[in-house]
Amino acid sequence: MPVPTEAVSNPTLLIMIAGLVLGFAGGIIMHRSDYCVAGMFRDIFMFKNTFMLRTLLILVSVSMALFEIGRRSGALIHPFPILGPPSLASFIGGVLFGVGMVLAGGCVVGTLYKMGSGSLVSLVAFAGLIIGSGLYAEFHSLWGPFIKATTFFTGKITIPQIVGTDPAVFVVPFIMVSSFFIYKWFKAGGLERRSFVDGYIQPWKAALLLAAAGFLSYVFAGMPMGITTSYSKIAAMLEEIFAPEHVAGLAYMKAVSLNFTHPLTGEVMKGGPGPVFDAIAVIQMPVIVGIVLGSAFSAISLREFRIYTNVPQRQFIAALAGGVIMGLASRMTPGCNIWHLFGGLPILAVQSILFFAGLLPGAWLGSKMFTGMVVKTGA
Amino acid sequence: MDRDLKTIEVDIRGQMCPATLLVALKNINEYGGDIRKGSMKLVFKTDNRDATVTIPDSAANMGYAVNVEKTDNFYSITIGALDARE
Repeated sequence: MPVPTEAVSNPTLLIMIAGLVLGFAGGIIMHRSDYCVAGMFRDIFMFKNTFMLRTLLILVSVSMALFEIGRRSGALIHPFPILGPPSLASFIGGVLFGVGMVLAGGCVVGTLYKMGSGSLVSLVAFAGLIIGSGLYAEFHSLWGPFIKATTFFTGKITIPQIVGTDPAVFVVPFIMVSSFFIYKWFKAGGLERRSFVDGYIQPWKAALLLAAAGFLSYVFAGMPMGITTSYSKIAAMLEEIFAPEHVAGLAYMKAVSLNFTHPLTGEVMKGGPGPVFDAIAVIQMPVIVGIVLGSAFSAISLREFRIYTNVPQRQFIAALAGGVIMGLASRMTPGCNIWHLFGGLPILAVQSILFFAGLLPGAWLGSKMFTGMVVKTGA
Repeated sequence: MDRDLKTIEVDIRGQMCPATLLVALKNINEYGGDIRKGSMKLVFKTDNRDATVTIPDSAANMGYAVNVEKTDNFYSITIGALDARE
């Protein structure tokens, strides 16, 4: 993996530092509040509990307002690079992703912060994610045409684009309605919960902080946080050590999924899943490293960092399988839950809405599988 | 006070979500009768921060007395009968 010197230019350093700082902060916030997106969706079905899901509405609404301000400034790219027109693949990917994240006990980011705080199960899920993301490259030649064939509204990404109106037409009513609910929950005490752990951050505060982090990523990196293309890249880099000809022969590894002009510096940045140090690596890798380090820092500073190995085998198997499914799904969609829920959904990207719609039945199915196979409840 | 109260310790450290809560609920259901009678208490040892919210919440909803404390680098959640004086 040679590092081309021309890639290490001005925007590179800026984006990498921003990614590392935002990832680190995100890792601390998520560890302190246990901001688990997989749990949010799973608990609707498994425990009929929507406490955490309420905070997702806060995150989405605040992000919506911030991204709209960013768009109106005219200085940033809207819709975000990488987002494409909707296709059936986004929904199917969402369903699979939902199953995978419940089995893995965390989404692509949840896996990182849990791994950072010492969870061995999440380390196995992470390995699964890499394997799944690499596996996708093997059948991209089949799935790619399916995405194309089931794409609708070609050339249009968000609902306002499809309808042909100013996004404010949707954004303002959405925020008004969500504010009403958020205010109601707040008054009723439905947004706070009693916690006994040291250094707890209430999830609604975490939602606000993560929305701010997403906006800062939009400003500095040119797009909100996403990390899963890098999982394919890591897989490709590892695979290249053993089978370089095979990797070189995969069409997916030559794909350019990112090609945009970085708003702050005006530099053109390109990248894809291939095993090279490109713009995808510059934007995503520091975020990944940052989250793991941030969470580890948080756990160590609370004196809670310990690695326990005495875990039932079934949980490791579930985490590995869930990771593989999630890795595959994130490439099939394409995009992960953080990208779509914290990024695409707030700008009403139809791809993200379809992914969200798929997550619900997926999480339901994953919950059934978990209580049927991993920890049998007999319920 | 401490007339030979039987204590069962369940070590769920390192376990993933939601296995922690599911395992806890299973144990609470299994030993519920004895806990209510006041002849037994359950102690869950966990490093899962989320479980320190979900396990006490569920147990409290079922009418048990719950105590959480940090021991060393993990949390101990004790489930017992409600004190008669309360």
